[in-house]
Amino acid sequence: MSKEITDTTDFANTKLPDFAQLDFLLRCHICKDFLKTPVLTPCGHTFCSVCIREYLQSNSKCPLCLLELRESMLRSEFLVNGIVQTYQSLRPSLIDILDSTRSSNDTSIIELGSDSEGDSYVKEPIDITGEYDDDLQIVGASNKRTSLRSKSAIYPSSTPKTMNRIGKSSSSIQSMFKPTTKNKNLKEKQAQCPVCEGFFPIQVLERVHLDECLTLQSLGKKRKGTTSSLNDQTVSNSLRTSRMNANTSKRSQERRLVTPTPPPPLPPAISYAEQYLNSGRGTDSEQRLPKLDFSNMTTTKIKQKLSSLGLSTTGTKQNMIARYNHYEILWNSNFCDSLNPVDESELRRQLISWDAAHNVPASSSNGNNGGGIISKMMVNRNGNSKENHYKKLLADFKNDKFERKTWIRLYKQEFKLLIKEAKEKMIKKDAKKMTAEKEAALTTDLSVVNDLGDNLSDPDLSKELNVQHTPVQESTTEENG
Amino acid sequence: MASLPKRIIKETERLISDPVPGITAEPHDDNLRYFNVTVEGPTQSPYENGIFKLELYLPDDYPMEAPKVRFLTKIYHPNIDRLGRICLDVLKTNWSPALQIRTVLLSIQALLASPNPNDPLANDVAEDWIKNEEAAKAKAREWTQLYAKKVDDN
Repeated sequence: MSKEITDTTDFANTKLPDFAQLDFLLRCHICKDFLKTPVLTPCGHTFCSVCIREYLQSNSKCPLCLLELRESMLRSEFLVNGIVQTYQSLRPSLIDILDSTRSSNDTSIIELGSDSEGDSYVKEPIDITGEYDDDLQIVGASNKRTSLRSKSAIYPSSTPKTMNRIGKSSSSIQSMFKPTTKNKNLKEKQAQCPVCEGFFPIQVLERVHLDECLTLQSLGKKRKGTTSSLNDQTVSNSLRTSRMNANTSKRSQERRLVTPTPPPPLPPAISYAEQYLNSGRGTDSEQRLPKLDFSNMTTTKIKQKLSSLGLSTTGTKQNMIARYNHYEILWNSNFCDSLNPVDESELRRQLISWDAAHNVPASSSNGNNGGGIISKMMVNRNGNSKENHYKKLLADFKNDKFERKTWIRLYKQEFKLLIKEAKEKMIKKDAKKMTAEKEAALTTDLSVVNDLGDNLSDPDLSKELNVQHTPVQESTTEENG
Repeated sequence: MASLPKRIIKETERLISDPVPGITAEPHDDNLRYFNVTVEGPTQSPYENGIFKLELYLPDDYPMEAPKVRFLTKIYHPNIDRLGRICLDVLKTNWSPALQIRTVLLSIQALLASPNPNDPLANDVAEDWIKNEEAAKAKAREWTQLYAKKVDDN
């Protein structure tokens, strides 16, 4: 986990140690992380929207200059947002380029490409076979370096137009691999890629190219969904950083061999420049969530309020108040400040995460929210590796980096069992219902029978009465006779 | 196991990798929010040559709430009482989440260099300080010798 934590000191051993200043300036002074949805105060300071809103719940002054500050005074800063996001996505490559331990022969532009390639595509195949290395070298070497350089030199100038990126980069990949197809020295069997329809040596196609093509394609598809692509991008970035950190020493050795490889630059999933230009307060469809005065609210009223927002109503009154307050922060930060607001269900998911980290005792005593499920899962779990896995997931859950897929995979068995149980119960219930109905029907039958009996008994009685009557009559007649 | 905010991890790493001169802060093994701190007495102060132990605890709401800091070593100072509690604005009203462990400890070190008897916590010490500053400083030096010797005991 600590691998993902970046710090200004990361630049201490680079060629440009003063870069740390920029790194410092783009961070929030409250969470010390890069600014996320930055907002500007009237006194000219910038913080993450969520951080400053949380702070202003208990104080009403700027954390930096202690001037008076209220939530309504905050204004979002789209430009800073774009700057931070761009910087964050470039940061790993930047540190790598500025790494002073590396030889300075290579032009940094080429390295930039080779980095992103090394991370996401070529790296793993290289580890598997040493032979593959040679192929790559031949590819690069056979290609004239000057042409390569000019090609990569175009790359930075095209950075702002990243929206058109897919086409460009995939074509650049093709053009970079094409020289190999022309190179007869390789004498390798060529095959056509089913995705981009270019020709490549079979080995290259199987090991690298197909993956690349498919990744690019999937990126392209996701790009149309706006919010999810952003998340994916940040996830992949963090993945890249962590992998990079883990492998830096290895890679720096390998790089000397691999550097001439043509670099297909990894296209950013969204253009921050584009996003900034299109930013604006569109229709104010979502209203800000108001502050509530809980002091004159009864617990039931609070519960009503929470459930009207679709929030859990477990825990004490204090827990519920804290839950609402945090949800208000998330909501207002999302709908008032963010350029890419997510929808309510995502906010609720974030809130559950937050709840799990903050209201632990309450949630474990009340079995029907996230904490309850987790503790049940904990009882159910078996196997040591699974336990570790589970712990990691739980930690992620609390840190709001929860991977739903992994979770589902991990507890596939349990989920299946639960579903099975539920189904069985439903069947049983149905069966019970049936029998209950039958019984009910039977009892009604019986009552009908009884009713009938009652009805029948009446004539009997009357008969008896008649019978009783007749002897009297008979007696009277006897007497008469 | 309760989740530790990134910020605390980051601060801890920084405190260890790039420590403030004259100050050490190490987190407990079993509670990463609890730190053992030592602060060297500033030169040209009555606390020179002393090493003062402190404990520092980051509450759940940190950084929204100030860290809790307390002297463990006995000290003769107008703004520090017998229980080691510290009267320092940044720990109370002037706390801001833009501050951090590092800056708080530096403020404490600065407080040792310049005691403020006009805003006292330990009234008797403050009185001594106002009445006869030299004598009070001598006593502070004496206490430093007694309780805060470099060979740490207590």
